[in-house]
Amino acid sequence: MGDTTTILIEVFFETMSYWWVILPTIFLGLVVGGIPGFSAANTIIILMPLTLSMSLEVGLIFMVALYCASRMGAGIPAILVNIPGTAGAAATPLDGYPMAQAGRGQQALAISFVASCLGGLLTTIVALMTMPVLARVGFYMHSVEMIVVMLFGISLIASIAAQDMLKGLIAGFLGLMIGSIGTDVVYATPRGTFGFLELYDGIPLIPALVGLFAVSEAFVIIEKKLIITEKAKAAMATPNWHATFEGAGLALSRWWHIVWTSLIGLIIGVIPGAGASIASFVAYQQSRSFSKTPELYGTGHAEGLIAPESANNGVTSGTLVPLLVLGIPGGATAAIMLVVMQYHGVSFGPSLFEDSPKVGYGMFMAMAVSYLFMLLTILPLSRYMSRVTTIPTIYLAPMIISFTLVGAFVPREYMFDMYLALAFGVLGYIARRTGYHVAAILIGVILGPLLEKYFLWSLKKSDGDIMVLFSSNIGNVLWVCLVLSLVLPIVFGRIRRNKARMVTQ
Amino acid sequence: MTRTSDFNRRGFLKTGMAASSMALGLPAIARAQSYPEGNINVVIPTAEGGGADRNFRAFTSVWKDKLGTEFEPSFFPGASGRVGYELYMGKSEPDCYNLIFGNMGPEVLNWAMQPPGFDIDDYFYFGQVDKDPCCLFVGAESPLQTMDDIIAASESRKLTVGTSRMAHPASIGLLALGEELGIEFNLIPLQGGKGTVAGAVTGEVDFSVLTSGSVIAAGDSVKTLLVFGNNIVGEALDNAPGINDAYGMNLPEMLSARAFGIHRKAAEDFPDRYEMLSRTFRETFDDPRLMEAYLANKGQPEYLVYADAEECAAFMKSMLELGARYKTLLSGA
Repeated sequence: MGDTTTILIEVFFETMSYWWVILPTIFLGLVVGGIPGFSAANTIIILMPLTLSMSLEVGLIFMVALYCASRMGAGIPAILVNIPGTAGAAATPLDGYPMAQAGRGQQALAISFVASCLGGLLTTIVALMTMPVLARVGFYMHSVEMIVVMLFGISLIASIAAQDMLKGLIAGFLGLMIGSIGTDVVYATPRGTFGFLELYDGIPLIPALVGLFAVSEAFVIIEKKLIITEKAKAAMATPNWHATFEGAGLALSRWWHIVWTSLIGLIIGVIPGAGASIASFVAYQQSRSFSKTPELYGTGHAEGLIAPESANNGVTSGTLVPLLVLGIPGGATAAIMLVVMQYHGVSFGPSLFEDSPKVGYGMFMAMAVSYLFMLLTILPLSRYMSRVTTIPTIYLAPMIISFTLVGAFVPREYMFDMYLALAFGVLGYIARRTGYHVAAILIGVILGPLLEKYFLWSLKKSDGDIMVLFSSNIGNVLWVCLVLSLVLPIVFGRIRRNKARMVTQ
Repeated sequence: MTRTSDFNRRGFLKTGMAASSMALGLPAIARAQSYPEGNINVVIPTAEGGGADRNFRAFTSVWKDKLGTEFEPSFFPGASGRVGYELYMGKSEPDCYNLIFGNMGPEVLNWAMQPPGFDIDDYFYFGQVDKDPCCLFVGAESPLQTMDDIIAASESRKLTVGTSRMAHPASIGLLALGEELGIEFNLIPLQGGKGTVAGAVTGEVDFSVLTSGSVIAAGDSVKTLLVFGNNIVGEALDNAPGINDAYGMNLPEMLSARAFGIHRKAAEDFPDRYEMLSRTFRETFDDPRLMEAYLANKGQPEYLVYADAEECAAFMKSMLELGARYKTLLSGA
């Protein structure tokens, strides 16, 4: 223990001495995270020759800082212009964008930054302290258990549908149907691909994401002069720090919310193959289910923004756990880190903390220091970033469409994906104009294929026995939790209404 | 005068044609001699950052000096590599400036399951960079730590086995083993090498089969029990025996083999260019810098094995035959 503490102190000061790497990388990460289609993973790949030429410490700090900053950066356009930079930020605009539309973009950004940094920092510390235990989560969360986790996220469709049940469910099922396009995960039989090879791997997420949210938003906002109201613009005419402090205060006053939603992200992050998109939707769903004011979600509610942002930053530290302890990368970025570290002769896995403890602890320390630096350097920028919402839509809408089309092209470099983003944009526009919730469609598109994958794996493992869904103790506990999380809010809601009625009587 | 009269219209035309032919032909000759004039585009039908990417960069870092030009990769991993082959390689000019860096194991096997939209004779592989035998492995904490454990456990239940995808040489290796031992295994496609390793380590499946390079990269988290070929790396694969030695079988090696391919038309229309490509490819293997680059990219030196177009064609043919033989089991048809 004493040795570990000494190593941690040494590593902390060493990491701090690399501030000259961390600071520029944070800004690079914010930019690449904010552009749809770009991510820490493909940026590290693009910069691979540079990364490989760096020393082990510098390369490690560079990759980790980029990873954290890009995760946080993805939330910025999601809040300001309804463009989630990555699938992990898909739940962020649900409450972030309504805040920006109401002229509270600065507060929304501050909430997002504080929730991201504190969530990331907290989960990094928890991961560091409980690494051996956390690494075991993947040993218990198999396909059967993951089906229930997916259902937590997908049940959000029902919450959204509560406002207009029929339309919400139609939108959700449409999303699930779109999500089932592509080859099946067992025998690779193509379904609903219309002969397009580009759809064999399923609907690509980024074109669907930017199409449904951003392109359709551009079509909508072009019909008015500004994203925000004239009144809100007048209020924003005199920039001040008050809104930033107000946003930070809102987030800090909900510190417990940050804690538990970021822990959801951490636990989902340590499961190999699960990711930020699952975590953010599950956290949002749980946050809404146990809120005293669920009706405020989707209207610009602080907790609706805190939940996905804390959770997706919790995933960041979570994905490092299986990588360091088991040698199994928890996500795409962790997989590329593995390649780079192996180039430097570092072998991940059970022997890492015996052979190279400084590398193991160093990665978490780099993450913690990056979040600290981000909190101090990025929070003040919310005052200036929020000005984006005051740009007239005649400039903003074409910029959004241009950026998003480029973003749709980047991940796979297929022209097809740009057309697909436009098609999803038209679908999203029609949905908005006819009162269907695009988020319900998107949840189906994102989580549907994952649910199907785990479901087919489970069935294949059991030779088609449907009772496999209830074959695991942990899975059964999760089923009970799922039912409770759906039923309890209704019960609590009734109790609150009864109490309110009694008070008024 | 007579000589002047000889230079008639026909003579003029003949001379003109000859001159024109020379004029038109010369640039072609000059072009051939100056090949390559630009970068060589290479379609890679797998994702960036993976094993193919690493091997490609290592190999071309030396080959580029032999050929005197740069190689420009483009990654198109969609539809098990079919997007790369059909949409991008298919649409590129057959002029020896466009190559594909594919895997003759899983990718060719996939064609046996689902016939591609192109004639598979449109391309051929002319140079193998490396070959990597598939293997069977368990997680370090698995209760199954030997092949005997696996055989004993399979008597009481059908064991689940992770594989990268159904149409994979490792899957065929396992099915052949099952046939030999009279055991029915339940193959679970875990979508890629990372998932397959994770499946074995975390207990999602009882054990997994995969190309050995990825298994070696997983380090201490896994233990290899059997190689579907020859174990030429010894300790790196836990000294696991080859399947033929262990069970007296006569199974061809189940390999992942990365190779450069080219349009057949390009090789036929530009034989001099093709000759230069294949010659410099061969010469690259004689350069000691290749081994250094390969090792720097964490490649197993024993797996760096040259094969020419003829050997590649034989390998491809054997994969298609194996695919046809096991199609029912691998495609669920």
